[in-house]
Amino acid sequence: MMPSILALMPMLVIGFGALALMLAEVLTDAKTGLAVGTAVVLFTAAAFACAGWMVGPENLGDAAVFAPWLVFDRFTLFFEVLLALSGALAALVAGGYLREHGIDRGEFYAILSFSTLGAMMLAAAGDVLMLFVGLETMSIGAYALAGFRRGSPKSAEGALKYFLLGSFAAALMMFGFALLYGATGHTDLAGLHNALASESLRSPSIVIALALVLAGLAFKVSAVPFHMWTPDAYEGAPTPATAFMAASVKAGGFAVLLRVLLTVFGDERSASWATGWPPVVALLAVLTMTVANLVAGRQESIKRMLAYSSIAHAGYLLVGVVAAIRAPAQAQSAVLFYLATYSVSTIGAFAALVLCGSRGAEVVSYEDLAGLGRRHPAVALPFAFFILSLAGMPPMAGFFGKWFVFKAAMDAGLHGLTVIAFINSVIAAYYYLKVFVFLYMREPAAGAPIAKPMWSGEVVTAIALCAFFVLLLGLAPGAVLDAALAVGGAG
Amino acid sequence: MHVQTYAPMFMLFVAATAIATLFFTLATVLGPSKPSAEKSLPFECGSDSDGAQHVRLSVKFYLTAILFVVFDIESVFVYPWAIQFRSLGWMGLASMMGFLLVILVGLVYAWKKGALEWET
Amino acid sequence: MPALESLFPRDEFGLLGLIIALPLLGAIVNGIWGRRLGRSAVSAMALTVMGLAFALSLVTVCHLHSLFTESLHGGGGAGHGERVRLAWTAWEWFHTTGGRSGANIPIDLKFSVDQLSGIMMLVITGIGFLIHLYSTAYMAEDASYARFFAYLNLFITAMLVLVLGDNLVVLFIGWEGVGLCSYLLIGFWFGKAENAAAGRKAFLANRIGDFGLLIGMFLLAQYTGALDWDGIARNAHLLLSPSPAARVHVWPVGGGIYQGMWAFLQPANVVTISGATAVSLALFLGCTGKSAQLPLYVWLPDAMAGPTPVSALIHAATMVTAGVYLVCRLSFVFVLSPFTMTVIAVVGALTALFAATIALVQNDVKKVLAYSTVSQLGFMFLGVGVGAFTAGFFHVFTHAFFKACLFLGAGSVIHSMHAHIHDDAASQDMRNMGGLRKYMPVTFATFAISTLAIIGTPFTSGFFSKDEILFKAFTNHVVHPMKDKFAQRGLGVWEQPTWVGPALYVVGVLAATMTAFYMCRALYLTFFGDFKGWAIGEPSAAKTHADHDHADHGHGHGGPAPAPHESPWQMTLPLVVLAFGALFGGWLNAAPLHIEPLGHWLDPVFAQAVSQGVQIVGGEEHAHHLVWPLAAGGVAAFAIGSAIAYWMYIASNGAPAKALAERNKKLHQLALEKWRVDEFYGVAVVGVAEATAETCAAIDHGIVDGLFAKATSSVVAAAGFVLRALHTGIFHAYSAAMVVGLAGFGWFFIAPHAEASVNQAGGSYAIHAAPGMGYSFRWDADGDGKFDSERFGPTRDLSVSVEPGKTKQVRLEVKNAFGLTGSTTITLGTEAKKGAAVVGLR
Repeated sequence: MMPSILALMPMLVIGFGALALMLAEVLTDAKTGLAVGTAVVLFTAAAFACAGWMVGPENLGDAAVFAPWLVFDRFTLFFEVLLALSGALAALVAGGYLREHGIDRGEFYAILSFSTLGAMMLAAAGDVLMLFVGLETMSIGAYALAGFRRGSPKSAEGALKYFLLGSFAAALMMFGFALLYGATGHTDLAGLHNALASESLRSPSIVIALALVLAGLAFKVSAVPFHMWTPDAYEGAPTPATAFMAASVKAGGFAVLLRVLLTVFGDERSASWATGWPPVVALLAVLTMTVANLVAGRQESIKRMLAYSSIAHAGYLLVGVVAAIRAPAQAQSAVLFYLATYSVSTIGAFAALVLCGSRGAEVVSYEDLAGLGRRHPAVALPFAFFILSLAGMPPMAGFFGKWFVFKAAMDAGLHGLTVIAFINSVIAAYYYLKVFVFLYMREPAAGAPIAKPMWSGEVVTAIALCAFFVLLLGLAPGAVLDAALAVGGAG
Repeated sequence: MHVQTYAPMFMLFVAATAIATLFFTLATVLGPSKPSAEKSLPFECGSDSDGAQHVRLSVKFYLTAILFVVFDIESVFVYPWAIQFRSLGWMGLASMMGFLLVILVGLVYAWKKGALEWET
Repeated sequence: MPALESLFPRDEFGLLGLIIALPLLGAIVNGIWGRRLGRSAVSAMALTVMGLAFALSLVTVCHLHSLFTESLHGGGGAGHGERVRLAWTAWEWFHTTGGRSGANIPIDLKFSVDQLSGIMMLVITGIGFLIHLYSTAYMAEDASYARFFAYLNLFITAMLVLVLGDNLVVLFIGWEGVGLCSYLLIGFWFGKAENAAAGRKAFLANRIGDFGLLIGMFLLAQYTGALDWDGIARNAHLLLSPSPAARVHVWPVGGGIYQGMWAFLQPANVVTISGATAVSLALFLGCTGKSAQLPLYVWLPDAMAGPTPVSALIHAATMVTAGVYLVCRLSFVFVLSPFTMTVIAVVGALTALFAATIALVQNDVKKVLAYSTVSQLGFMFLGVGVGAFTAGFFHVFTHAFFKACLFLGAGSVIHSMHAHIHDDAASQDMRNMGGLRKYMPVTFATFAISTLAIIGTPFTSGFFSKDEILFKAFTNHVVHPMKDKFAQRGLGVWEQPTWVGPALYVVGVLAATMTAFYMCRALYLTFFGDFKGWAIGEPSAAKTHADHDHADHGHGHGGPAPAPHESPWQMTLPLVVLAFGALFGGWLNAAPLHIEPLGHWLDPVFAQAVSQGVQIVGGEEHAHHLVWPLAAGGVAAFAIGSAIAYWMYIASNGAPAKALAERNKKLHQLALEKWRVDEFYGVAVVGVAEATAETCAAIDHGIVDGLFAKATSSVVAAAGFVLRALHTGIFHAYSAAMVVGLAGFGWFFIAPHAEASVNQAGGSYAIHAAPGMGYSFRWDADGDGKFDSERFGPTRDLSVSVEPGKTKQVRLEVKNAFGLTGSTTITLGTEAKKGAAVVGLR
């Protein structure tokens, strides 16, 4: 009884925590504490997930009695920790940002928590229906967060596009699963896998279903050409929401991508190198990396640049996903590790961006960063730090993420793909570098509005935590890497 | 597929359609029809109609409607649970209480946020 | 030193950590609190940490020396010591896998010092200290004084990490770190746009190099299963494994087979290179980026936009020699590939010559020195490329002295010029100088001594190091270490043609002649003749001074022309020390005179490499007779070059130079514009990249938004689709892109793919058709053109035997779930022949 409750605890904590946050918002005047409260709730959930990890999912007993559609393995637990931490960091950033920009409405935190819960359900889903519920819980929250700046037409536009296209993609995916159900009579992932693996099944609808599901998944991880919504939504959303979308929503997307591709479509025929999804995903990876990196260099807005950067990172991750079909344990753990490094780096970058600007004097374009390194070194330094990590500079976390993914791809024999990814990471240095040029080597143009840094304990805490994780994953990646390896081939 | 289990439903459907059609047909055929200019005018409870055909409704209307849908769905869930109440046991009760608690918090939230107030 | 030994055992030599941590401490303190501390505190901090680091380095090297002498008397016997090594592990970092067996490779944050890195450490901290001292005066008026010293200290830290790292990964951190600091310091005066551009150029060129270094690192892990120096050395022989699977397939890429429409790309012979060649070429690409060799040298001359002490420290004495250091460090890997060694030597020689031609005509004194640095780096690579690692590294050592001294001397001149000419370009233009000998005696003397050293005046340091390189280029011959073994097995190896050595010698002498010319030219133009500066300085000085951020130096502006002044002692003292080193440093390795303490000290480091792959043409005895004849070439280069310069600029006061430039106007202009290589790169590389990016951006927002949006909206309008109501064209484009993507998926999945892999064992082939959802297969195994069975079945595997010398065609047809069919034909029996005819650079 007790261990099985432990398995559910992370989700229960977040669910009831979010309810409590809602009540706290309307029943008390304690607005300022909400961000910290959310962070506490999410950190608690992460702690429970860690406890579950230590007990070991195999000892968690009859969790299936309570939640038959959820799978509690190390894969789930890894994502629970990652998602809870990302959500908590984003909530802390929001604490400073929303107050500063006068959109301090409490529902942000409840939506963020529910969305995190959805992402966890997505990672834990063992059944198509659960998967869909998780997907929508996560996505609807994300749509709402993207449109949180109600007064801003940009925010509304981005959110509407995200919502409509997201619904479109979800419908495609659901249709795909419906076809699968029609062909196999299964909705649970394991059952689907077994059914697809049997030689006797030859229905063309499965092939169509694979295409549809792949399209839906590609949208969630914003792979080219399913990426078009990303820059608009990221740019329009309030920055903490952008950070949340870039880290948690993307991590949730990759969780389900790995789960579906490696579990449901992991059989010899679906994952065939000539006829199945691996060549398609490989092409997606190449397109995603190349287009995103090239277009990112053309951006004027920092947030759009970071949006394209996040698309490019999805491309590197897809390389790992392709490799996972040949070397499951190694490549999948590389993807998980990469997600961890990417999440903390990107949240850190957005948090630092938040700190660089204040109400009415936000950092929007590169120009706004000009000379910041000289005027406010304490604010410029963290931004530069996280940008270096995103660029993959050792000994920051980003370097090891790339190292392990590329290494896994090499070991899987994907030499061409690895070289393309390498070249892309070289190209990417160019636009990351631009940030440096403006931070440290430019003076603002005469008469230009100058971004004023803000001060917020929450944001500084978030930055400190992110920096800690970036350095931890860079200087002592052992523990997290071992954890990612322990997840192993369980997908 | 046991089609016969759905037979009563089909029969109900057919009967409803048939009765509705029958009454409309009878009314059209049997009723006297003497159109005049006066009768063809749009009728609005005795007063002259004016304004556009499409009226923008207050957003509060949608808010209320959505809240209604939420609680309507709630009852849709509660009915089958009530029928299977005994076989579901304590676990079923706990689940439904959890569900109702969530809905309740939602109601309190909506109430406190002023979503139910028409005049503000 | 028993006390030191007991305090810091060989494997726990924590002093190394302290040496690295000291500059880091300085960087942190100056970077964060520098502005509040004030100038004197900042300089005190920076100088203290550097001085301490130098002192500790000295202690470490002395300790190393005592260990070395012990080993000399202990086991070696015949005057050969061992490689002595002190190591310190900061912590265990992470694990990776590699090697044939997928062995676990522990990567530790580990530092070690041996004879080679000991010398580097001394140079870095020693010359680093002098340049810090110099900078306290040179940068005294700068607004960002603290920031400068923070960067400088950070650079020293990174450079020490690079040199002391015990494995490639730690070295790579330092490698990136020095790149970053160099970049920050080049753009230090970011007020000017070209400085930022120069910084970016440096970063980009270095990224290309780093790409090579990373690939090399991957391959090394893959082949040797180790990344630390000892581990690589132990397993280096694995890089030469002759089995085709262990070699890198250059063409066809990755060892595939081109079929169908690409069949014309299939070569008659598979081209492969050994792991050693692949690794060493990749690593050398990294070296060309960091050490500014052809074709990546373009960033270094532009990097001189940074403050002059930075040019001296980073872009002359230390960072740019990192490439040479890496080749020396992994000498035992490089010698395994005579091909790479030849590439290194040729690239080095060509760079030396090419950069020298540009330096001949430059007017900016820093540009002359910059191209001279590129040229001298070329000499170093020429040295290590012919297997003369000691000579190449010795040139690193001597070059550090005389080039740092030259840069600092030039800085001293610019400092003095800058007091009156507030335009950077004009204050560095040698045409505005002249006659400074009278005003700046110390600067003149040191500059002259260093010039004498760099042009190879007999018995100065440059003479000994450069002549040794030229001598070895002539006499050394790099051979494949396993040539005989391979020959026994009937495998050929690539051999260095015998004419390469003499050709390299001739190119080297030519470059040395040019060096003598342009350096003397710089000396004469700057210090001899009449001073021309104030004529230019005066009118503009009053005007431009108001908006200039450099403070007044206390000289009256607009008054009667004051004399240029000598620099303060903080600047002249380092000059004197460095000039001393430039004059006498050569005696550490005066090979022609058999005074070679440095050679003996370094011998154990290079022993493995030299014994494996370096031969001396005609034997040691024969080469011995060539020492002085070949040295004559170097002396002649010095004499001719300096004589021509004397004739042109002193005897005839520059008239012949002008006449020559007049006569060959186009050529002169072209050389002045650095052969327009930058422009070429601008078009070829940057242009193409920009154009691609533009195109992608255009596609993303132009074609997709425009074309697709219109196309969809017309389709949508026709169909009366619900999206029409949304009225946002762009939204259509977004969904259109998704639909196109989905259609692409559908197209790929619905199209039938008949693909098969073939495994050969002797005369029989196992063919394995790729599986697919809903696929069924039929085969034509006997090659009669008809399928064995008309029906499609589940059989995916087929084994066929082919008689030797004959070929057979097997046909596979697949039917997929949609009833579509596709087929492929596999020709068997030809690979056997191809496999035997593998050629390559073994």
